[in-house]
Amino acid sequence: MRSGAPQGASEHLLLGPFYRLIGMAFAIEFFVRRILQGAVIVFLVSFVIFALLRVVSGDPVRIILGPMASSAAIEETAEQLGLRDPIPIQYGRFVAGVVQGDFGHSFIRGVQGGSTGGSQDSEGLDTDNRAPVFDLIMTALPYTAILAGGGVFLALLIALPIGIFAGRNSGRWPDRFALYVSSLFISLPNIWIGVVLIFLFSTKAGWLPAIGYEGLAYAILPAIVIAIEISPVLIRAISVSVSDNLRAPYFALGLVRGLSSNYMFRAHVLRNSAVPLMNLFGAQVIGMLLGGLFVVEYIFSYPGIGLLTINAIFQRDFPIVQAISILAAVALVLINMFVDFFSSLIDRRLKF
Amino acid sequence: MTTRDVLQVSGLSIRNANLPKAAPVLQDVSFSAAPKSVVGIIGESGAGKTVLAKALVNWVASPLEISSGQLFFEGVDLLKQPAERFNAMRGREISYIGADPTSALDPTVPVGSQIVKKLVTVKPTLSKREAKEFVIETFQAVRIPSASKRFNDYPFQFSGGMMQRALIVDALVTNPKLLIADNITQPLDVTVAAQILRLLRQLQQDFETAIVFVTASLGTAVDIADKVLVMKEGRVVESGGTSGLLANPQDDYTKQLIHQVPDIWGAEPFHSEQIDEHPILSIRDVSKTYQLADPDVVFGKQAVQAVRGVSFDVRRGENFGVIGESGCGKSTLSRLLSALESPDTGEVLFNGTSLSSMSSKQLLNWRQKMQLILQDPYNSIPSYMTIGDIIAEPLRIHNLEKGNALWTRVKAVMTEVGLNLDLIHDLPAGLSAGQRQRVSIARALVLEPEVLILDETLSALDQVEQSKLLALFADINRRRSITCIYISHDLAMVRRICDRIGVMYLGKVVELADNESLFSKAGHPYTRALLSAVPVLEEKPFEESVYLLDGEPPDPINIPAGCSFRTRCPFAIDQCAQEEPNLEVYEEKGSAAACYVGYAKLP
Repeated sequence: MRSGAPQGASEHLLLGPFYRLIGMAFAIEFFVRRILQGAVIVFLVSFVIFALLRVVSGDPVRIILGPMASSAAIEETAEQLGLRDPIPIQYGRFVAGVVQGDFGHSFIRGVQGGSTGGSQDSEGLDTDNRAPVFDLIMTALPYTAILAGGGVFLALLIALPIGIFAGRNSGRWPDRFALYVSSLFISLPNIWIGVVLIFLFSTKAGWLPAIGYEGLAYAILPAIVIAIEISPVLIRAISVSVSDNLRAPYFALGLVRGLSSNYMFRAHVLRNSAVPLMNLFGAQVIGMLLGGLFVVEYIFSYPGIGLLTINAIFQRDFPIVQAISILAAVALVLINMFVDFFSSLIDRRLKF
Repeated sequence: MTTRDVLQVSGLSIRNANLPKAAPVLQDVSFSAAPKSVVGIIGESGAGKTVLAKALVNWVASPLEISSGQLFFEGVDLLKQPAERFNAMRGREISYIGADPTSALDPTVPVGSQIVKKLVTVKPTLSKREAKEFVIETFQAVRIPSASKRFNDYPFQFSGGMMQRALIVDALVTNPKLLIADNITQPLDVTVAAQILRLLRQLQQDFETAIVFVTASLGTAVDIADKVLVMKEGRVVESGGTSGLLANPQDDYTKQLIHQVPDIWGAEPFHSEQIDEHPILSIRDVSKTYQLADPDVVFGKQAVQAVRGVSFDVRRGENFGVIGESGCGKSTLSRLLSALESPDTGEVLFNGTSLSSMSSKQLLNWRQKMQLILQDPYNSIPSYMTIGDIIAEPLRIHNLEKGNALWTRVKAVMTEVGLNLDLIHDLPAGLSAGQRQRVSIARALVLEPEVLILDETLSALDQVEQSKLLALFADINRRRSITCIYISHDLAMVRRICDRIGVMYLGKVVELADNESLFSKAGHPYTRALLSAVPVLEEKPFEESVYLLDGEPPDPINIPAGCSFRTRCPFAIDQCAQEEPNLEVYEEKGSAAACYVGYAKLP
């Protein structure tokens, strides 16, 4: 037999249940293959982003130096920044830096974090005064992590009970209720919800802070907006996969085999429903989350990656935009890799 | 009723609550089952057999509902009890095994732990460890090989037959008084089905269980049941002791059912009328291996040897049969013959020209002469095209006809295969499986091919429809002197339509014989095993007790050295392990078998 687990493997010290559930060779092969594929994807994405940023209109040097700068100064600064070199050469230089952990310096932001574009630098640019992109991202990342984590947590808090309830009562009122809730949530624009929540809970009631970040309470309102945005997709996915699994032959047969309906639900239906849910996460929810964060952080002036990106785009701050794009690509690749790995832990038939 | 009956059903009726005016699904069904007896329930699909079987385990799902009747289990009417009381019997006193073993368990949890879970649920005194040991012992008892490893395997790693064994274990671990077996051999190959029946008979004696055995195959029911109920349209039309009912059927429907069971040895072997000795198709030592990922070796590959050095000639105008069980490589062979794939080694010659030497344009032209018809009547024709367009499409692809001439040809072929010409502008939705296969056949015949490959083309059809299409093919064969290659697992069918037959086992042709010799002499022990396992009503020349096999074919990844059949062959000798035998002629008509034991020495 080729089931992969040697005798007594379930007691394997370090890998424990993983060893039993899935062949080691499979796991190694999986990660080697997926990391290599992921590297190719990130490389291509970063090149496309890098090149596109440099062909769109808007000269960053003009923004750095301000409208008063002479064209000679602009050319000099552009030369100095390497912005007049062919794109592949610029990209090569950038990749060489990234490999050493250097994502370059912001064009605009000073070491202290303030935006300096357009006034002080009309004589030229001294990159040493500018904040390293890596530091900017690392400062913003924890805030975004809190917001994204909170948003997903709240979304699951809404979607799991509603979705499971609907799935267990397919075709009856809970199913319709879930549909109405999802339709309502999906038709509310996140900008509008954000503004309404700020108005109700901050301005009127004064219960929650809305702008900036000085503590966990500042993440609550934006997290609610995120949760409302992504929960409809989750509700539909959960209710569909729960009701499909309830209709699967193994469920009815489990009851006939003498197992209780509650046990079959807990042990088998929920387990099988987790796979499509995880795939949805990798394929769709993470994308929605990233998009949502830009808007939500902007509305709430929340100092995370989203706000950093939006400002950087307005300011043609190439180094920040390209670093964040790469970061997003890496995050998507990694999350999908783990989603697929854990899916195949649950369902051994899956082959990635 | 005698008081000691385990089960007594009286006047059971079930109706569809959404269709109150329609005839009930079950009407006034009564029967009883004595301890240790086997009651066979037989009927065609739609007779209500499965509804009845499920009702016996309180599995009547909306919109169906029990409208009247009693269901006594050990003297207690379970329908009068609260549902919890009935449900508490399930999996304990009354067990159920269904028709589809592969979807019966959660696909994501190992088989063993699901059976253990059931065991500890119904017997809470048992510890998990004891339960596990017990299940592994029972796995061994039902001859699941390497039981303790199999225990940790997932449902998809089991074959249908192995899974059905595991489910028999699952049903019988609690030593129930009544077992409902609902079509349990239906999806299995004949030798595996025969093994399952033998196993069930043994276990029944050990466990002293009464069995209600539902099946659509009269041969199978006769094989196992003491008493048979014949059902038609929800009603029991006749019941009685098996041998009496068979010898002296009263109801017309019973007579018809008995008549429909195909005779194998009683039937005249088929002969095509115009066979040209010159081969139209020659297969020369073809083999095909597929590469699969090896789950145990990083970036490792496993070679699945689907077809291993097959050679034979098909003569112009003859009907050639390829038979074998699941996984023997017969479908891969059909893909090689129809040039959907090319062989790794060897070649397929059509009128002396190798298919692999043809350019893609030549190959396209050649396809006019060689048509393939598949098994699934639903997915092999597009649902969005009219029947006329479906049949006309090949003519358009090959640019053969236009305008009126095209439609004349389409209509002619529709008439030939027995399709009503009114259907020409209809979509295939609403056509029966048999009519759909006629559309597929018409689509192939419209090109006037020289060779037809029928890959399990008639397997999805019921006996009556199958007989009609066989008559159609016999007719086509006579009129057009077309060459047909039937790829099938159905011995009764090849008996009725093929001149010569190749028997495949693990990617090799182990016997190549003419119809008469194969069925009466059979030079290979595997052929005899197949023939001994067919469920028929007539006397078989090969006894099940002598020839029936144990276990299942080895994995095509690890094919045993020497003769690939020797690991299951009851007659294997030392020489069989040394070298793979070649086909040797064993009788005057030129029939050949690949066996070292030799025709004379087989019992």
